[in-house]
Amino acid sequence: MNTERNLPEGFEQLEPYVESWSIAGAANRSRRRIDSSEQERVAFFNAAKELAGPALALLDQKPLDQLDDRETRLMNLILSLAHVSLAVEIQGDDEPKHAKNSRHITITRASSDFNA
Amino acid sequence: MAESPATQHIELDEDHAHLGTGPIPAGPYYQPEYFDLEREAIFRRTWLQIAHISELPEPGSFIVRPVEIARASILITRGRDGEIRAFHNVCTHRGTQLVSDDSGKRSLFSCPYHMWTFSDDGELRSAPDFERFYVDKSQCSLSKVAVDVCAGLVFINLDSSPEQSLREYLGPFAEELEQLPVARATTFSEYTYEIEGNWKLTYDNFQENYHLRFIHPRSGEAANGPQNPFGYPIRYGFHGPHRTQTIWSNPDARPKPFQTFGFMKGAEFAIKDGFGASAQGKEYYAIFPNLFILGSPMTPFSQSVVPISANRSRGIIRMYWIGEDDCASRRFAREYAMATARDIHSEDRAVIQAGQRGLESGALSHIHFQSQEILCRHLFQEVDKRVEAYRAERDAARAKA
Repeated sequence: MNTERNLPEGFEQLEPYVESWSIAGAANRSRRRIDSSEQERVAFFNAAKELAGPALALLDQKPLDQLDDRETRLMNLILSLAHVSLAVEIQGDDEPKHAKNSRHITITRASSDFNA
Repeated sequence: MAESPATQHIELDEDHAHLGTGPIPAGPYYQPEYFDLEREAIFRRTWLQIAHISELPEPGSFIVRPVEIARASILITRGRDGEIRAFHNVCTHRGTQLVSDDSGKRSLFSCPYHMWTFSDDGELRSAPDFERFYVDKSQCSLSKVAVDVCAGLVFINLDSSPEQSLREYLGPFAEELEQLPVARATTFSEYTYEIEGNWKLTYDNFQENYHLRFIHPRSGEAANGPQNPFGYPIRYGFHGPHRTQTIWSNPDARPKPFQTFGFMKGAEFAIKDGFGASAQGKEYYAIFPNLFILGSPMTPFSQSVVPISANRSRGIIRMYWIGEDDCASRRFAREYAMATARDIHSEDRAVIQAGQRGLESGALSHIHFQSQEILCRHLFQEVDKRVEAYRAERDAARAKA
């Protein structure tokens, strides 16, 4: 088992979600939400929702282009949470129907894709 | 310049009947013949928003944008003198499209066919073996297109001598747009969709709230409530072919916990950027023919509904930001705002397409708009007025010939 830490200290609870949800690129994060199962989304949302505040407080201490690899992973996790929260908290059991429509809307550019 | 008349407002419960009550013919929403008339009557002679000034950040910047309905490609440059100019992206030698890149930085543009080379002010700078031609270089400049900027939005007009300046065309809305984040934006996020829907049918979806509770039951929860079950606007405003609605939002809405977190982050940066509560914050502008701008600094989006054919369009939604992401919280706030708006927009496409399929069957000769679909009625009236005027102009020219 890989025991190497992928995230800054204090965010160990989110380690199991790094592989699936720490994704570069807004379009990729949006697509991952659409392709995910309800079980995956709910588990990630419940684990991460209370940590978004502390994560941003930590990351805000540095300019974005100076984030190290662990911090960058955490940033991308929290950005994925923005998408996933809408599925879990707003759409709920409408998400499968919503995802079908959402596939036709393409993110062509996002501010988070620059200087990432 | 004559002073522009003020915007005419109608409050929610006021009588709207003076703007018409009759059914609307269905044909204009799917017939290719009507679309062809719209091309000439509207899109070849009206100011069309095509870009944002942030896409031309410095001298030498250029962009190329299609105007499919006019079968045109437009080259827009920022010259060494800082001036924005627009041209047909067509080499004046034998009509080859000059630039194939969508954007870049360059002050000379060479046609790939025979290397005619133009400067960013459109002049023909050099052409190989030019002595063998029977024309002067000064007569070979790129074909100019009228261009102007308001609130950071770049508009073009394919009419070589537009009837009105852009400012005259926008009237009092010009000044209001100048107050919005779009006017100060230096960058934007963007999402797009292709739709099998006529541009008016598509556009209409985004200017009536009657559908909100049925199509956006979850994402649009805060947009209606027991006091206003359909989430109708507080008032409507009209200026010439343009219109606006003042959006109502439910004061008793209870955002979900993470949603509150996302909105609060957005509000924090809206305030930092100098956008507090403003007269424009709840305005949703519909600029004729095909542009929307939402005044909210929390969700500062525009949508262009680009006509492709009688039954195909493209939606381009942009959210405008002042400065690049400068910290993690701002980056998160922008991602959350974009994802939220995108969720709402994505719910409309399927039902618009269903409308298009229904209309194209020819089953209906007419459709009906209620008083709270007044903005849809106004769009049709403004389109049809221009189409009829063009038809008369064309028939008169034919009779003369």
